[in-house]
Amino acid sequence: MAHISTDQLLQLETTCGSFLYELQIIWDEVGETDTERDKMLLELEQECLEVYRRKVDQANRYRAQLRQTIADSEAELAAICSAMGEPPVHTKQPIQRVGNLKEELNSIAPQLEEMRKRKGERLKQFLEVMEQIRNISVEVMPTEYIPSRHVDESDLSIRKLEELYRQLESLQKEKNDRLKQIMDHLSTLNELCSVLGVAFKETVREIHPTLDDAEASKSISNVTIERLATAIGRLREIKIERMQKLQDLASTMLELWNLMDTPIEEQQLFQNVTCNIAASEEEITESNTLSVDFLSYVEEEVLRLEQLKVSKMKELVLKKKTELEELRRQGHLVVEEAENEPEIAISAIESGAIDASLVLNQIEGQIAEVKEEAFSRKDILERVEKWLTACEEEAWLEEYNRDENRYNAGRGAHLTLKRAEKARALTNKIPGMVDTLVAKITQWEKERGIGFTYDGVRLLTMLGEYTIVRQEKEQERKRQRDQKKLQGQLIAEQEALYGSKPSPSKPQSAKKVPRTSTGGSNRRLSFGGAATLQTPKPDYMHSAKSTRTAKKLDDLALTGSRGLDIAGLPVKKLSYNDAITKHQEVGMPRKPFASIVPVNTIPSAPSMPVIASTLEENQAPNKMLLLTPKNPATAAAVPMRVASTPAPTCLVNDGKLSVVASVEETEYSFEERRLAFYVGGR
Amino acid sequence: MSRPSLPFRFSSVPPPDPQTASSRLAPVDMSTATMLSGGRELSQPPSDGISNLRFSSHSDLLLVSSWDRTIRLYDVGENTLKAEFVHAGPVLDCCFHDDSSGFSAGADHSVRRHIFGSGKEDILGHHDAPVRCVEYSYAAGQVITGSWDKTLKCWDPRGANSSDRALIGTYVQPERVYSLSLVGYRLVVATAGRHVNVYDLRNMSQPEQRRESSLKYQTRCVRCYPNGTGRVAMEFFDLSEAAQAKKYAFKCHRKSEAGRDTVYPVNAMAFHPIYGTFATGGCDGYVNYSKYPTSIAALSFNRDGRLLAVASSYTFEEGEIPHEPDAIFVRNVNEVEVKPKPKALPGPPP
Repeated sequence: MAHISTDQLLQLETTCGSFLYELQIIWDEVGETDTERDKMLLELEQECLEVYRRKVDQANRYRAQLRQTIADSEAELAAICSAMGEPPVHTKQPIQRVGNLKEELNSIAPQLEEMRKRKGERLKQFLEVMEQIRNISVEVMPTEYIPSRHVDESDLSIRKLEELYRQLESLQKEKNDRLKQIMDHLSTLNELCSVLGVAFKETVREIHPTLDDAEASKSISNVTIERLATAIGRLREIKIERMQKLQDLASTMLELWNLMDTPIEEQQLFQNVTCNIAASEEEITESNTLSVDFLSYVEEEVLRLEQLKVSKMKELVLKKKTELEELRRQGHLVVEEAENEPEIAISAIESGAIDASLVLNQIEGQIAEVKEEAFSRKDILERVEKWLTACEEEAWLEEYNRDENRYNAGRGAHLTLKRAEKARALTNKIPGMVDTLVAKITQWEKERGIGFTYDGVRLLTMLGEYTIVRQEKEQERKRQRDQKKLQGQLIAEQEALYGSKPSPSKPQSAKKVPRTSTGGSNRRLSFGGAATLQTPKPDYMHSAKSTRTAKKLDDLALTGSRGLDIAGLPVKKLSYNDAITKHQEVGMPRKPFASIVPVNTIPSAPSMPVIASTLEENQAPNKMLLLTPKNPATAAAVPMRVASTPAPTCLVNDGKLSVVASVEETEYSFEERRLAFYVGGR
Repeated sequence: MSRPSLPFRFSSVPPPDPQTASSRLAPVDMSTATMLSGGRELSQPPSDGISNLRFSSHSDLLLVSSWDRTIRLYDVGENTLKAEFVHAGPVLDCCFHDDSSGFSAGADHSVRRHIFGSGKEDILGHHDAPVRCVEYSYAAGQVITGSWDKTLKCWDPRGANSSDRALIGTYVQPERVYSLSLVGYRLVVATAGRHVNVYDLRNMSQPEQRRESSLKYQTRCVRCYPNGTGRVAMEFFDLSEAAQAKKYAFKCHRKSEAGRDTVYPVNAMAFHPIYGTFATGGCDGYVNYSKYPTSIAALSFNRDGRLLAVASSYTFEEGEIPHEPDAIFVRNVNEVEVKPKPKALPGPPP
């Protein structure tokens, strides 16, 4: 090239020389002056110089530019290296700078290019990692701080990258953990839902819509997990509650089955209920075991069984009642309260006030008692039967004796005659029978300390009455005989006077002898009441009646025997009621167990009134009947004291016990009264 | 839905009412009842009326409170008096905290805590009137006291000796408190005027239930049935119709003499810890057919139900009168006596 340029330069020089020669020729021809010629030449020289200067400047600028580029490249290279955490590849050693600037630039450029490419790749990696971190973070904690998408380009070192990778890895782990937790929760929830018969999908959708979707990624945020856990807790509570209910029902059911011998086939329908009776919460996994429907189904069954039980119990109670009544009837035992007892018991059982088994127990006890009693009475009762039969015969005989036509021969007259004969013999035995009976009964009563009753009537009274009636009849007969005798005499006298004989006075006898209607449908009436009241004209009774009534009153008052009440006793009952009500009026409306005496007086004299109250408590009604009228003072005492008591007063003692006592309203326990006494005593 | 129903029962002072004197329901038939031995008597008994006694639920220690102003701790096995505390006034009730300490309710309005080993005592606080009863709830870790000042108070036993720290709350009752009973978190309060309130210890702001005693007369004693599955139905927490239908009352401690019925107040009840049967004690001095010298003031079964402590002590039902000395009997309990009797129908319940 140098060669070429020298050639060119040579050529240029020749050209310049030829131009100058040509110019001289022209000038010579023109005749230019020397000054003009010099001036032109100077101009030429100056123009040439200007061109040179421009070119040099241009070259200089190019060099500076080149240097700048190299420096920039080197700086960039260094920056990239430092960012990537690598030692600078290009060390600026002077030896390497032998080349000129262009060479230098050329050597740097590829390095730079290479580094740029690597940096770009690194940056891409960073972005990828950070994007992933960001995504997971958003999933895990959507509400919290989210790392930005911006990458800090000043630090793209491997270390940083590894750090990010670790972060990503831990996040991924956490995400997996959470996913696993959620899956666990979901499966638990599913189980619970199936056991409880709750729609799983809806429950889950309520917690977070994504959980239900099999395709979409599930929400794994803290909130979701918490909600899941809460839902599980809630369902588990419900499960435990229902399980307890189910087990309660199951045990009730078992009890009822056992009680009623429910057939196995019926039991088997509920085998899945009873098999869970002792299961723990975890053990119940079968679906729908605890659903509302199933529980109410079981509940219905229990209710049905219970109703069945109640009705069975009722039947049983009624059956036992009938048995008891039958026994009582057979033993001629009468218990007054028994009359409306079954109705009361049944209605009480129906209303649930009393446990049927309790009633049943009572009745059984009563049956046993009655049986025992009937056994002890058997001997006497048999004798009573005999006596009663004898009495019937006696009555019949009396009737027969009154029959005017009894000796008229008719059909079966001989039989009647025979019967009369037998009856006479039997009637004669009656006094002996009665005596033995009385002895037996007296012994029996002595042993047991209670009166022997027959259909509610004291048997001794019956016998006594019978004896009296018999004696009276006896007397009457005697009187009649005497009268007859007298009449006989009169007749004899009349006959002597008038020679005629009047007929014996039949009407008299028919009218006078009362019907002691023994036997018949109601024996009881005949002895107690009928003998005294039904007699049409009981003239012969008058003498005995007053004393006997008095005696009966005594009997009634002392033993509480109410056997005679049917006959004579509306009057008496009234008086009893009167006494009671009167007493209650006098006793005034006071609260149960309130002290009779004003409380304020307790510290001074507590013992007397309290004893009085217990005394009263112990009194049987009959005793009260007797006591109240005799002792009006006690009755009067209460209102008097109450009246004299001033209105609420304070009982203050050392400030320890201050009870404002309004007399009629305040009730006190034993302990309060004791403390009042205690404080008062000190 | 409700938990298994928990029954509780009242006993009451009987009426001075001649019209209810018939006692055919009463199971006490003295002629056939077997007379069982009353058990052995503890030495060094209190010198005045016994207000309550309780067996520990961990051992055979017996805590006794008395009108002689003492609270005593006996070892029943050794028949020894292990500790004694003297109060300013009569002690109306006591209960165990654990085997080393207990609480007492005093007529001097105070609620105290006693450390048996050291003989130390702290005051938990005071009521405005004598404190009638005290209970300790293991479930809630609280002491509950009922007083004649018509309030119920709950105490934290750890805050003893500074009442502001010990007192958890005060709950006004309609009347003077006469009896308390606890089962789990349930608290039953019986007051004068036959009120009965049922509380949940976790929410004392208002009674869970307010009732009136189903009995006619003053409530002397109320006790909760120890477990949920009632074998004997009495009165139930459960308000459902089915459970309420099961309640009943029966008469006891009555005597027929020459055609008259004597009705005695029932003072005490104790549930057997295993069989769930219960014993009652009344002013007639009888406990399950055994006669004691005087009224039965209190009863307590030990933890396994093999021993029954009976306080035979006059309960002032007839005012200040001469009476038998106060004594404590501890009697061995036959299983036959306390096992539930088979039901009337074939096949007893499982």
